[in-house]
Amino acid sequence: MTTTPTKLMAHMIAGFPNVDTARKIARGLVRGGAHYLEVQFPFSDPSSDGPLIEKASQAALDNGFRVADGFAFMKELSRDYDVPLFIMTYGSLVFARGAGAFCDQAKDAGVTGLIIPDLPPDYSEGLFDEGKKRGLAIVPVISPGISDARLDILRALQPEYIYTALRLGITGSATHLDDATIAYLEKVKALGAKIIAGFGVRSAEMMHLLAGHADAAAVGSYFLEVYDKAEGDVESALSEAAKNLLA
Amino acid sequence: MTAPAHADTTDKRNDFFGNFGGRYVGETLRPALDNLDREFRTAIADPAFQAELARVQKTWVGRPTPLLFAENATRALGGARIYIKMEGLAHTGAHKINNAIGQALLAKRMGKTHIIAETGAGQHGLASAAACAKLGLDCRVYMGDLDVRRQRPNVFAMEMMGTRVIPVHSGTMTLKDAINAALRDWSATYPDTHYLIGSALGPSPFPEIARIFQSIVGRETVAQMAEAGEEIAAMIACVGGGSNSIGFFEPFLDKPAPRLIGVEAGGRGPGPGDNAVRMTGGVSRPGIAHGYKSRFLMDDDGQVLPTHSISAGLDYPGIGPQLAALGECGRIEFTAASDEETLEALKFFARQEGVMFALESAHAGAAAMRVAPTLRKDQAIVVNMSGRGDKDLFITAKALDRDRWIDYLKNEIAT
Repeated sequence: MTTTPTKLMAHMIAGFPNVDTARKIARGLVRGGAHYLEVQFPFSDPSSDGPLIEKASQAALDNGFRVADGFAFMKELSRDYDVPLFIMTYGSLVFARGAGAFCDQAKDAGVTGLIIPDLPPDYSEGLFDEGKKRGLAIVPVISPGISDARLDILRALQPEYIYTALRLGITGSATHLDDATIAYLEKVKALGAKIIAGFGVRSAEMMHLLAGHADAAAVGSYFLEVYDKAEGDVESALSEAAKNLLA
Repeated sequence: MTAPAHADTTDKRNDFFGNFGGRYVGETLRPALDNLDREFRTAIADPAFQAELARVQKTWVGRPTPLLFAENATRALGGARIYIKMEGLAHTGAHKINNAIGQALLAKRMGKTHIIAETGAGQHGLASAAACAKLGLDCRVYMGDLDVRRQRPNVFAMEMMGTRVIPVHSGTMTLKDAINAALRDWSATYPDTHYLIGSALGPSPFPEIARIFQSIVGRETVAQMAEAGEEIAAMIACVGGGSNSIGFFEPFLDKPAPRLIGVEAGGRGPGPGDNAVRMTGGVSRPGIAHGYKSRFLMDDDGQVLPTHSISAGLDYPGIGPQLAALGECGRIEFTAASDEETLEALKFFARQEGVMFALESAHAGAAAMRVAPTLRKDQAIVVNMSGRGDKDLFITAKALDRDRWIDYLKNEIAT
């Protein structure tokens, strides 16, 4: 293809299926060229995620995943790789520790930013302030139905990154870029943040389609499918999958 | 205390009850909730909507439900006069119908053609199915796979009414997972679909919507007690998510009296996973899940813990945010009844009054049995029988008359 694909934010789940394999998954994704790693901390009630991620989260919890293990894993990743690291999780986990303490532990683990979809700016439990104090990016999560009034709220926060869905709904199903989506991405881009576009990206074609419209594409469910189908060498399977997306 | 009023712009945080409440959802659901908030406020201020609601409540739900003076129970316990609000005589067997028909009318007014509901035991699913059949709305109900398997009669009834029951296989495969599945569905379908949440919980404005549609129970009780010439010393209701209790208590929330007593599921005991006690036990904490902040059964990481109750309707890890706030400020007294006490109460009222409580409501009955003897004979208490017990036969008969019930089931299979 003639264009350069957009950057890849590769999503994975801490502690899934176990810590050792999660390490291999991370290594595969970075080897395959992922520009960012988004590591999801499992939550028992992940209502913004599709069934695949929910099932994987539950499996990690059944294996005894604790939030402290998640931070230890991030620390390892930041020691081993140069890619910026993001934690994606739910408000419950942030609130249980307190936004300040959660940010401290994330910062200490070398994390670049936090993606917490159910803590929007007006219900953030102080997360945006605490992040700002520590130089930790708090990444708002938005979607195409967002009103101009809500976009104004985001503008005032001056976020470094914005994570946006590309269609109504939850992660994991097919999507395509139509004119309305492109117009929407342009509107978000005008806020001045780096745009991470997600929810349904699963092909090199889509990565190319997004080039110029989004700074990075978040890919999650696709990699989980690759992992599920992988026979034998998980690391190579994910590395190949990431490479193919960036072809 | 009354609910703080919402402003037009929901960007201001005025949807809290004390520390609890809010709209902790992703931006994806925000337009749906903002719109619902506006439409709900317009509807309840519209006399035509209220008139239609009142008409359906009378002719279809069967309102007003009776208030029974439980004379035999009163004599047997030897304390305060006990009244029972017979809410379980409402159509489909429980208070759930009040909220279901109210929200279904609202959905129709908003131009929605589809309804999503979640259900645990199936009572809210059944009420939603009935309301949708009546109003010509397409209905799909999410139900944990475990609940689908143990509540076959309600699944059958919902399907009879044209509702599609969708089993949920994630998490613990119970009510909380059905809520997650419903939220997920709604985030992709809200343009033509209303999420008819079944209790006084979830992101705002749902807790307020459920309270307002359930407040008919409390208002009727006030009128009926006045007619009986009684002054109320205490009101007693069971609390799962909290829709029956908040509706029952509603007329008194901003008054110092009477005593308002909420009864949680004490289950098998105080340990984690053995009960659904959010307000008095040692396992619960403030948390955020299912779109709202309240007290939840959670671990110190914020992960939702498993629950247990003999009554499926109380078997839920969270509590409506306004109830949590009213508990923290002391307006509502919380207590718990164990599975065992609940079965005793069920037997007691059946024997004394010829009234079979739903297992959920029997928790309130158990508390009434404890409270009545501590009060004077010239005082009166009201216990809300939020549901009737027919639906529980497969649980209660198995617990109280096991051998003969199993024989019966075997015979049924053989024929």
